[in-house]
Amino acid sequence: MKKIILLGLTSSFLFAGGMSVSVKPVDNTIYEKECGSCHFAYPAGLLPSNSWNKMISNLSDHFGDDASVDEKTFQTLSSYLNENSAEKSMNYKRSRKIVENLNGVIPDSISKMPYMKKKHEDIKENLITQKEVKGMFNCTACHQNAKKGIFSDDDVNIPNYGKWEK
Amino acid sequence: MKAFFIATLVATLSFSATVDDFLESLKKEVLKTDLSFKSFDYKRGEEIFLSKHVGKKGELISCASCHGTDLNKSNQNYFTAKEIDALSPKVNPKRFTDKTEIEKWLKRNFNDVYNREGTPLEKGDVITYIINK
Repeated sequence: MKKIILLGLTSSFLFAGGMSVSVKPVDNTIYEKECGSCHFAYPAGLLPSNSWNKMISNLSDHFGDDASVDEKTFQTLSSYLNENSAEKSMNYKRSRKIVENLNGVIPDSISKMPYMKKKHEDIKENLITQKEVKGMFNCTACHQNAKKGIFSDDDVNIPNYGKWEK
Repeated sequence: MKAFFIATLVATLSFSATVDDFLESLKKEVLKTDLSFKSFDYKRGEEIFLSKHVGKKGELISCASCHGTDLNKSNQNYFTAKEIDALSPKVNPKRFTDKTEIEKWLKRNFNDVYNREGTPLEKGDVITYIINK
């Protein structure tokens, strides 16, 4: 019995090790509400500030949707994104990797940036486009604890596929 | 329990006051161009909500594509699959309690579905449909 408990403990420690917070979770209620109404409120550390600024400069045509906000809200969103963007969050592993892999590009979206494409290249297209996921933009469809800033392979559960085994 | 009743009552009252004021302001707008206007219409609102149009993204959609046809239930965003809370204030007391929110979403969603902003008449009709459905 003791052995089982010990084994359980050890494995949970190992598990916890692999499940570390690698992106700073969203900690702004206005950002969470305004951006999280239509899609997962992406952590600011998933893009460099120049990408965020390019994106929010045209919110009335936001990937084809009208996501316009009033001036006051815009200022809040802009400050939050600029203060917490990837290059300002280099102590978080994923943010650091994102910045290191930019190769001079200013990505238009999180899913299109080089690091993100590389990390998802082994996943079959139909698993990403299936109706339970819809596209690469839908982090939480597979990354169960994305909201907590956890993006480890161990936390991935793909609909109609299951746990991700490399 | 008592606190819950009071909270619900307050929420309900604030909903009525906000939406009534908003409908009243829309009515004034409509009357500027149509002196014979009497009242907003549930049936016209239903047509606005359910009819399909080529929206901003070039796809044939209606308001119901994201909000569903049963407004007492939550539904999924047609494009992102994100859960959207029920639209009806009957089951979701947070709905229609903030004028800024009402205006923001009407502007965005008319643009998304109709590729243009709604007229005061259309806005009044569709709200009348949503809050009474």
